[in-house]
Amino acid sequence: MSAAPHSTESLPVLSAGIRSFTYHGDGLPVLEGIDLDLAPGTLTAVLGASGSGKSTLGRLLSGWLPPGTGGTLRGFLELAGTRLEFGAGGDPRINPAEWGRHVGFVPQDPAAVLSTVRATVAEELAFGLENAAVEPQAMKAAAEHTAALLGLTEFLERDPGSLSGGQMRRLAIGCAIIAGPRVLIMDEPFASLDTAGTAGLARLLQGLVRLGTAVVVLSQVVDAPLLAAGTWVVLENGSVTGSGTPAGLQAGSGLLPPGIRASGGAPAPAVDHAGAAHADRLLPRGGAGVPALELRGVCFGYGTRGNAANGRTTWRRIRGGSTAAHASAQVLQGISLRVRRGEIVAVTGPNGAGKSTLLRHVNGLLRPTAGRVLVNGRDIAGEPAGEAARSVGLLFQQPRDQLFERTALREVRFGLDRLFHPDEAAGRALEALSAVGLAGASDAHPAELPASGQRLLALATVLARKPAVLALDEPTVAMDGGGLALLDAAVRSAAGEGAAVVLVTHDLDYARAVAHRVVTLDGGRLDG
Amino acid sequence: MRLHPLTSLAAAGSTAVITTAAASLPLSLAVMGAAVALSARSGTARRLLPAAAAVLLPLGLSLLVMHGLFFPEGRTVLAQWGMARVTAEGLAFALERAAQLGAVVLALLVFSFSVSVPDLVAVLSSRGLHGRFAFVLASTLTLLPAITSRVERIRQAQESRGLVVRRGLLHRAAAFRLQAVPLVLSLIEDAGTRTAALEARGFSNPGPRTSYRAVPDPRGQRVLRAALLAAAAAAVAARLLLTQAGS
Repeated sequence: MSAAPHSTESLPVLSAGIRSFTYHGDGLPVLEGIDLDLAPGTLTAVLGASGSGKSTLGRLLSGWLPPGTGGTLRGFLELAGTRLEFGAGGDPRINPAEWGRHVGFVPQDPAAVLSTVRATVAEELAFGLENAAVEPQAMKAAAEHTAALLGLTEFLERDPGSLSGGQMRRLAIGCAIIAGPRVLIMDEPFASLDTAGTAGLARLLQGLVRLGTAVVVLSQVVDAPLLAAGTWVVLENGSVTGSGTPAGLQAGSGLLPPGIRASGGAPAPAVDHAGAAHADRLLPRGGAGVPALELRGVCFGYGTRGNAANGRTTWRRIRGGSTAAHASAQVLQGISLRVRRGEIVAVTGPNGAGKSTLLRHVNGLLRPTAGRVLVNGRDIAGEPAGEAARSVGLLFQQPRDQLFERTALREVRFGLDRLFHPDEAAGRALEALSAVGLAGASDAHPAELPASGQRLLALATVLARKPAVLALDEPTVAMDGGGLALLDAAVRSAAGEGAAVVLVTHDLDYARAVAHRVVTLDGGRLDG
Repeated sequence: MRLHPLTSLAAAGSTAVITTAAASLPLSLAVMGAAVALSARSGTARRLLPAAAAVLLPLGLSLLVMHGLFFPEGRTVLAQWGMARVTAEGLAFALERAAQLGAVVLALLVFSFSVSVPDLVAVLSSRGLHGRFAFVLASTLTLLPAITSRVERIRQAQESRGLVVRRGLLHRAAAFRLQAVPLVLSLIEDAGTRTAALEARGFSNPGPRTSYRAVPDPRGQRVLRAALLAAAAAAVAARLLLTQAGS
């Protein structure tokens, strides 16, 4: 794009002229023809569907993917007045630490930022400052200030590993901004943040922009805070296909590719909005029978020993250094929920409310300290999680936690052979892959799929078994428009075939659009 | 009282040195007993004993085979198969060595399971140890827990897809077969991303660094450390003198 002409008052702090960037071993460039000028005190949104090259661009600009070691760059990067030319032989080398002092980066997977050797959130925040030999008093002040900005003050003494998905993202942002970089690049920062978290982050970004930081948000969702961006850059297949003001790009509809979706907006579903809102009418009759899933007075707290599957998870968590207060906290307090066959129930609630914890009870990965979990009327208390999983499919919050095989097809087939004849297993695996639009990627390594593809693959592993209960943890996070449409179709079709669906989401709009019933989990209790 | 990591390191180290220098079976056995008792009291016995067994059983067996069967100075022959003779002296020697080794291993394991890794890293960094080395040390000490939690995550993913893992060591071992390859691949992949993050956060900076974590080092513990080191040195000296006098 080449946004603003270079004027004296707003010389860009970071510029890039990428003629092409190619990963080693790849024939085709992943980025081509990208010109970017990031001036101090601006908010730029780089919008693109999953796989459009956003993350590569972000990592390249932030020094996480240094040209040379990471791939071949033709073009230039210019940071704080120093221009580095690449591709002409004798390429300069980027010092990631030096670069990182000016450019902060928050990757899509926030846990990747963690040093893993720091015991508390405060120490994790201070890690970068320690390496720059900042005085302890100043570090303490900076950690407290940053935590306050991100609403992490109450977690300062917590083990970073014990944070929920949304809290972890805020910690990753804190690690990136604590040293006051002049440029802040964030990859899908609003994903998995609840409404309050999104609003808080939006305020934080405004504050940073006012202080003169050049903020870049890479996203496949037009989250509300991005409407206030000065510039939108549209990325498609590694190239810039449009740029300008939000108003201009939105007005000239057609400039935004279909993969980019509006915040919270479900894709044009098979059922119209009104239909979805009153979907009770579409529910199969005969709801008086045994519910497919029933939770009766389920209580759970991390720290009461012996309640996790085979009594180990909890024990480890206590040992993990969480505070005694946290360890004894009751996450779930007498949760009761009945989900009928064919019904879609959405559970919403703030970050850290225990939504994922609740979902892990449905297939026995966690065991309640009190209360019962019944699947098709059968108490799963005595069953190993693997057996309960025959009737319950769980989509994890982090797809990477769910994927462990070498190819997408192997991934989907895992466990199917135990349930079905090999021919049927193969058929079901392929069917599930095509249901999520990954038929062409059956040989791809799961880790090489874009974020949206990884979640869809994880979904395929769940769908292939056609379980009676589908439990989905934050299924919309990191999904682009196309992915969301596939997810939506898959969820509705599963429910149509009689599966009970429980989905946990912070995205209230999506919950309302897709579910027959929305319940809220807050303070360990379920309302609604 | 919370022990400064260097104090517990000094205690473990000097115990190991003194036990080795003393080469006394009763002392070795007493140290082993004390180590197990300490770890039971601090609640680490469940993890410490399997680790100790993994190290000591093969070593103990090899000592037994080496000295129990082929001990040239052995006089009291208990059994004989061709070249191999089981002698009472050989068995006694093997037992003594095994106990010595057991004491050293247990003392060091009690240290590594009880030390607060963040404290240790903070202390080492503040004493000028290079950050990278301190990190490697910390990673080594946190590697086992990290691997355990990773295996658990993979196992949960597999259980969610119908892998039935029943209670019992054999079932777990059989299930681990399915988790080993994903584990290694995910650790490698993880290391790649983590490196970029660490580098960008100035982890390789050659200059000085500071530590957020303040670890109190009371005077009493400094004195104790000096005393422990002196005792270890004295034990080694005494051993050398005795050996010289005996030869």
